[in-house]
Amino acid sequence: MIDAGALLLLTFLGQQFEQRGFIENRTVAYPQTAPNDSAHVVDEMLLREEASYKFTPWFTLSGAFDARSDSHRQTVRDWVVDADDRSILRPAFSVRRLSATIHKGKITAELGRQFIRWGKADILNPTDRFAPKDYLSNVVDSDFLGVTAARLTYESGGNIVDLVWQPWFSPSRTPLLNQRWTGLPPEAAGLSLIDAGANYPGGSQYGARWNHVGSGYEFSLCFFDGRQNLPSFDAILTPPDPSIEFTRTYPKLRLYGGDAAVPLPWLTIKGEAAYFTSETPGAEEYALYVIQLERQVKEWSFVAGYAGSIVTRDAASPLQFAPDRGFAKSFVGRAGLTIDANRSLALETAVRAEGSFVRFEYSQLFGQHWRATGGLAWIRGDMADFLGQYRRNSYASLALRYSF
Amino acid sequence: MNKFFLVVALMVPAFAQDARQIMLDVQKRQHSDSQRYEGTLEVTSGNNQSTTKRWIYQRIGSFGNSKAILRFTAPAEVKGVGLLIVNHPDRASDQWMWRPAIGRDQRIALQDRSTRFFGTDFSFEDLEERDVDQYEYKLLADEGASWKIESKPRKSSQYEYSYFWVQKEHYNLVKIEAYNKKGLVRVIDYKNHELIKGIWTPRLTEVYDVTRKSRTILKYEKLEYNLPMKDEDFSLQALRRDL
Repeated sequence: MIDAGALLLLTFLGQQFEQRGFIENRTVAYPQTAPNDSAHVVDEMLLREEASYKFTPWFTLSGAFDARSDSHRQTVRDWVVDADDRSILRPAFSVRRLSATIHKGKITAELGRQFIRWGKADILNPTDRFAPKDYLSNVVDSDFLGVTAARLTYESGGNIVDLVWQPWFSPSRTPLLNQRWTGLPPEAAGLSLIDAGANYPGGSQYGARWNHVGSGYEFSLCFFDGRQNLPSFDAILTPPDPSIEFTRTYPKLRLYGGDAAVPLPWLTIKGEAAYFTSETPGAEEYALYVIQLERQVKEWSFVAGYAGSIVTRDAASPLQFAPDRGFAKSFVGRAGLTIDANRSLALETAVRAEGSFVRFEYSQLFGQHWRATGGLAWIRGDMADFLGQYRRNSYASLALRYSF
Repeated sequence: MNKFFLVVALMVPAFAQDARQIMLDVQKRQHSDSQRYEGTLEVTSGNNQSTTKRWIYQRIGSFGNSKAILRFTAPAEVKGVGLLIVNHPDRASDQWMWRPAIGRDQRIALQDRSTRFFGTDFSFEDLEERDVDQYEYKLLADEGASWKIESKPRKSSQYEYSYFWVQKEHYNLVKIEAYNKKGLVRVIDYKNHELIKGIWTPRLTEVYDVTRKSRTILKYEKLEYNLPMKDEDFSLQALRRDL
């Protein structure tokens, strides 16, 4: 009788519980050293587990957990679980997602740590303001970070209204000063650079987005008021030693934006634009826009476009980490080929006036669980250019993933 | 009136059986307000490399007015990937893909609807449900147990024309040969029909991609019709809600 009850309970739990995860080892080899980094090989290990439990048809609890380590001191070596995930180094153990989703009729509410993605373009998303990224070990290939927020979505017919309130700030994670993805000119090699951490702002952020799906088109309008998740740096020179102390700060930011997608018989046009203003003295004000064309031919997919920017007020300090701006004024292209059910190829490129980047990837599934992905990235340009500053960071990579 | 004319007079109504009417009957007999099944797909490529995928398929409405969500459950690396298909009576469907790794729905740009879906031998167009009125039909032959019918799409399609074989006994579609300008592209066989809630239903669909010499076998499990489903569970929000 007890066995039967346990079996029934297990069956019930099995129907409500979903999980997936993977463990991945990624090795990146850099043929060249950088002024602030002599390592040629960096190895990263990541275990990610995602699970959800549906208590009722309208209430689901979702969680995701990361455990990681690396060979290059990019991860905190501490047995502490980080719930905020906003440390300078990556946490060894972090709560990537922990949220409750409630949906009733046309309304969906999600509360807690979650992922919020806005925008329609694929090459750059100026309106994607609740999506900080982890740039620590690679600026041209980065992962998203979750945010703690309350999100309320109303969907009716072809209209979706999205309201988001983020009670505290989540920054993007930037490269470390003593590693190669902080681009330093050769003249800075003798200086002592001190990372003084970050001044995280208080206060909340909020945003709203209206998306409309029409017959043969789709567009959205959005608004955001909060902070730039990419930092500016305050630098203090401390004589007599030639050392400079850097502190991250995050200027206020207000965004007015929109995006659109129009599928046409020969190609799909997607566009996205945002205008950013700031009350923070000395902060830049600018517009970012993207126009891209997509075309699918058999097993090939092609995306090509231009990302542009217009500055309406210059920044008082040039010390900013701004990859979104760095990829602006670029022609960007992507091509993908699905060779068969197990194999695929991808090629991505960004070309600016003074810098360029090309990445090639081949990926193959072995059996039901193992996937190997090999890649080559080639970066060229002038030191003054956003991409060009990483010209010594061309790399080859190999990732081996076991999914479960 | 001699015997010959009598035979011809009796034969004419049978051969003149209206092809469109046959297809309308097929559609009527297949009609259900909703459908759900768990599918296992075995994809065998031309060089005999095999892979197995699983998905859960749910549909509300039928034919030109239906909506469907298809979500992969295996292998682990694609678990959670979903596709929302909104069919229209007068034009090609709208489709959005949800990839958990990106955390965003993406409108599928499908200028070439012959693109294979996620490495299977189904093209995106094959996943659409089109209404009878989107084709023109011609009865080509009465082959005893089945009719052979030619169909030509009225709207844009990867196929120039197709041949359908419809089993007479239950008006089951048992085979499709689909052709483009260059010739035969795809052969779809519907097998192992069973009566489920009054609907004759294939329990296995085999798709053969002639050009690639690749084959996909879709087995239908836990197939049910006319389950209570809500329209709101076939939306962009629903697509991103589940794991």
